[in-house]
Amino acid sequence: MNKKLPILLLISVFIIATCGLIYELISGTLASYLLGDSVTQFSTIIGVYLFSMGVGSWVSKYFDKNLLSWFIRIEILVGLVGGTSSSILFMVFESVSSFRIVLYGLISFTGILVGLEIPLLMRILKDRFEFKDLVSKVFTFDYIGALIASLVFPLVLIPYMGLVRTAYLFGMLNVLVALVACIVFGHEIKGVKYLKSASIISLLALLAGFIFAERITSFSESLTYSDTIIFSKSTPYQRIIITKKGRDLRLFLNGNLQFSSVDEYRYHEAIIHPVLGALPQAKNVLVMGGGDGLAVREILKYPQIQTVTLVDLDKEMTKLFRSNEMLLKLNKRSLLSPKVTVVNADAFSWARMQRKTYDAIIIDFPDPSNYSVGKLYTNTFYNIVKHLLNPDGIMVVQSTSPFVAPKSYWTVEKTLQSAGLHTVPYHNYVPSFGEWGYIMAMYKPVYKVPDTYLPGLRFVSKSCLEQMLFFPKDMARVPASVNRLNNQILVKYFEEEWSTVL
Amino acid sequence: MRGGHRVFINNAIGRRSFLIRAGLLTGSILLNGCLRKLNGRKSEYAHIKGKLRGPNAKAGHILRDKLPIPEPSLTTSVKTLIIGGGISGLSAARWLKKQGETDFQLLELEDHAGGNSYHGANAVSAYPLGAHYIPIVNNEDSLLVDFLHESQVITHFDEHGLPFYNEYYLCFDPEERLLINGHWQEGIVPDFGVPPEERKQIEAFFRLMTAFKNAKGNDGRYAFNIPIDASSADREYRKLDKLSFKDYLQQQGFTSEYLLWYLNYCCKDDYGTPAINVSAWAGIHYFASRKGKAANAEPNSVITWPEGNGWLMKQLRDYVKGHIITSHMVYSIDVSDNEHIKVKVFDLKKQTSYTIDAGKVIMASPQFVNQKLLGGFSRKGVNYADMHYAPWLIANITVNKLPTAAKGMVLCWDNVAYGTPSVGYVNANQQDLKVIEEKKVLTYYLPLCDKEPRLSRLAAYTRIYEQWLDIVVPELEQMHPEITQHIEEIEFWLWGHGMISPAVNYIWGDTRKNAQASINNKIFFAHTDLSGISIFEEAFHHGISAAQQVLAG
Repeated sequence: MNKKLPILLLISVFIIATCGLIYELISGTLASYLLGDSVTQFSTIIGVYLFSMGVGSWVSKYFDKNLLSWFIRIEILVGLVGGTSSSILFMVFESVSSFRIVLYGLISFTGILVGLEIPLLMRILKDRFEFKDLVSKVFTFDYIGALIASLVFPLVLIPYMGLVRTAYLFGMLNVLVALVACIVFGHEIKGVKYLKSASIISLLALLAGFIFAERITSFSESLTYSDTIIFSKSTPYQRIIITKKGRDLRLFLNGNLQFSSVDEYRYHEAIIHPVLGALPQAKNVLVMGGGDGLAVREILKYPQIQTVTLVDLDKEMTKLFRSNEMLLKLNKRSLLSPKVTVVNADAFSWARMQRKTYDAIIIDFPDPSNYSVGKLYTNTFYNIVKHLLNPDGIMVVQSTSPFVAPKSYWTVEKTLQSAGLHTVPYHNYVPSFGEWGYIMAMYKPVYKVPDTYLPGLRFVSKSCLEQMLFFPKDMARVPASVNRLNNQILVKYFEEEWSTVL
Repeated sequence: MRGGHRVFINNAIGRRSFLIRAGLLTGSILLNGCLRKLNGRKSEYAHIKGKLRGPNAKAGHILRDKLPIPEPSLTTSVKTLIIGGGISGLSAARWLKKQGETDFQLLELEDHAGGNSYHGANAVSAYPLGAHYIPIVNNEDSLLVDFLHESQVITHFDEHGLPFYNEYYLCFDPEERLLINGHWQEGIVPDFGVPPEERKQIEAFFRLMTAFKNAKGNDGRYAFNIPIDASSADREYRKLDKLSFKDYLQQQGFTSEYLLWYLNYCCKDDYGTPAINVSAWAGIHYFASRKGKAANAEPNSVITWPEGNGWLMKQLRDYVKGHIITSHMVYSIDVSDNEHIKVKVFDLKKQTSYTIDAGKVIMASPQFVNQKLLGGFSRKGVNYADMHYAPWLIANITVNKLPTAAKGMVLCWDNVAYGTPSVGYVNANQQDLKVIEEKKVLTYYLPLCDKEPRLSRLAAYTRIYEQWLDIVVPELEQMHPEITQHIEEIEFWLWGHGMISPAVNYIWGDTRKNAQASINNKIFFAHTDLSGISIFEEAFHHGISAAQQVLAG
């Protein structure tokens, strides 16, 4: 009755406590990464977690026999659930509507299990040690563990190990406690062999998860992005990464920034409103690239637009921007509008087959950084697209930076001209991109700056557009030649010009 | 001729030693093949599907081995009969039709026309089984320019009269890369890691070639031209046919290993054999004969299709559709009759024979076949032993991924590795407009020139599919480590007589000249072996020239 508490036991309590808090922190962090609004996320997560622990404590009274073996089972289960929780959450994030259910389900489940641990442990030990001493020491180590966890988590674990690995590591520690209990109390437990092997198998499984965590969110990848990666997926065509830092949500395709939620309106207003503002009669619009639906969002602001056809190669990309709540908020559910038809196809082959014509064509492809995408910037391609443009229509091409890559930018203009189109180059400043360029192309020789603009635009206005049409000396037109399928000079210029910056 | 006697002795010795070497070589390959069959394929190749195919060797050997053929039971007649459905034969047929002729037939041994411009296809892509491109053509070559215009390879002419080539057919960029010193460099002329002295030699060589390109002989014609027979007769240039390209390079002081590798590669690529077996005239012709200018492409640009020259072949073939009869083997031609040429034909499908009484015949078949067909008839001054045909292996490799270890240039149309036996591979999907293809077909070309042609040919005929895998896959692994697991299918195609090689003294020697002469103004000849270099342009012109002779008589 007066035996001193063995140090091993106290370590176990300490570990259990640390693990419990770590799981809570992981869930809270993940939820605020993925869903944004960290205050709400953390407070609901903590609330649900503590409540679930309470449920666990209450349930503990229904455990009557074989307390030791129940304790071991619960430890293994906590280890498995907690250890895999962040992987599971990352993997199911794509379908956000079910994400919340999974998130809170996991939190509640973990909370209940963690809530069971201490009451069970104390009941196991109450007859072996002095109760006064037991309560004091167990709770002391419980709270020390919590303190350590709350310090180590943001300072060491997240920066050096990442969310996924941290979860696996603490899962293993939980299972380790189970294994140690099996060994120490082996003679008191029925079927200890079965429990021992279960904990060894679980330990190995978690270890494998720890080692292969890279596959889920690669550690090296997270190092190349300064912000936290909240979504990553490799599709047959590209690697999609979404990062988040504060209110800044960024989309990367194959490592190249596509937009930052902070300033993307500057880019998307600039690519849409100079075109549609000048086409009050426009009814049908074609968008090539731009699977994020942000350009479409701007287009749908014009009530007279009847149809928008969006052609994007990557089904996963358009699916993501049609289902993820956070992204739907950003693109105002544009891709779900009944006016919008999404076509997942290769733009070049698709365009060759088309007969329908459009009032406006928005060409928003990734930069010509390789020979495959480079094909979509050739005279051959523009000659095809030209036939999809109504005689009074306007097309616009995102054409990289006239400041960083003047040769590339003016090559796009020259190539559009070689297709027999009149061009109107313009540019604006997008903080996350730098100085950015666009080129309008049309059959008619004159472009008139529109006098009126939609209400509610944050960037484009008449005086703003007039400024965008002006090219200061450091971005003035340079001599350029035509980008063809059989020379692809644009890819070479692009690489040359950007490599000096990056 | 001096030393005639010695030649005879050499031939006798040569024959015996050939038999011994042939026996040893084929014996060892057979043995190895048996072991392969017994042990099965290497386990790492187990997943690779495919077959070994080639031209109908069985039918060809009926001719060579004089196997029994049923006697002809009936006789038909035709005004002009063309034997052979390669580019020469198809071009002859096209010309006859263009001139309003209707009474002509083209017989082809295979079950398809095309010759070595034949092609294949699988679920991923069409692909060549032989010739796969033509460079932009010489602007003075109006017959060829007309044909290309007809088939919309040339879409129009600009204000300076320069042809505008169809942009879907001009080879898409990037065109060529070379794996050298562990790096994929752009272009095939060695550059990466080449020491400065050798670079200077390479530059000097190209300066020399540019001079040859612009050179004209004392008769005012280009020293090197296409078709070959449009070249100058100036002895100053023609004497270059009397020594090997290798000796010529040595005489000129070209010693750079990188340069010599490159020139051997070029000879293998176009002639199927290294510089030592090619005349200097032919070696220079490779660099100096193409002078084409285009409105929308650089000089020396190439035109290509997924199915290679199969695309051009189809244009010719479809134009003369009703006149082509396939799976018909001519096995004897009798020139003794004054009225008609009696051509005996074996229908390979029905296994029956018949005789065709032809007014005139164009033999668009290689001369080693003609020798058999003409039986005892001896063509004056034609020494068949002067004609060397290079055997080739073509492998069409379907991969679901192309792993790359070496840095540098990305996948190009033509991809070559320094110092390998093959001449590299061509991306059959190069002209694809898709931004991303998941699978690709790579057409790999291996000239079988490590031994003399007949020995290499014999060895090649002996090898089974698994043995070709053992040869080809390791080289691919060298270019792309860990590619094996990504190979889904390899189709091998073996050409026993892939192409004529321009051996020393062949192009401007007597045999080639005499072999072009008609027999009694009734039988005319059209084939690239009458040029000594096996390119589309030569075949195209031989066909037209033979058809013109038929019409003139």
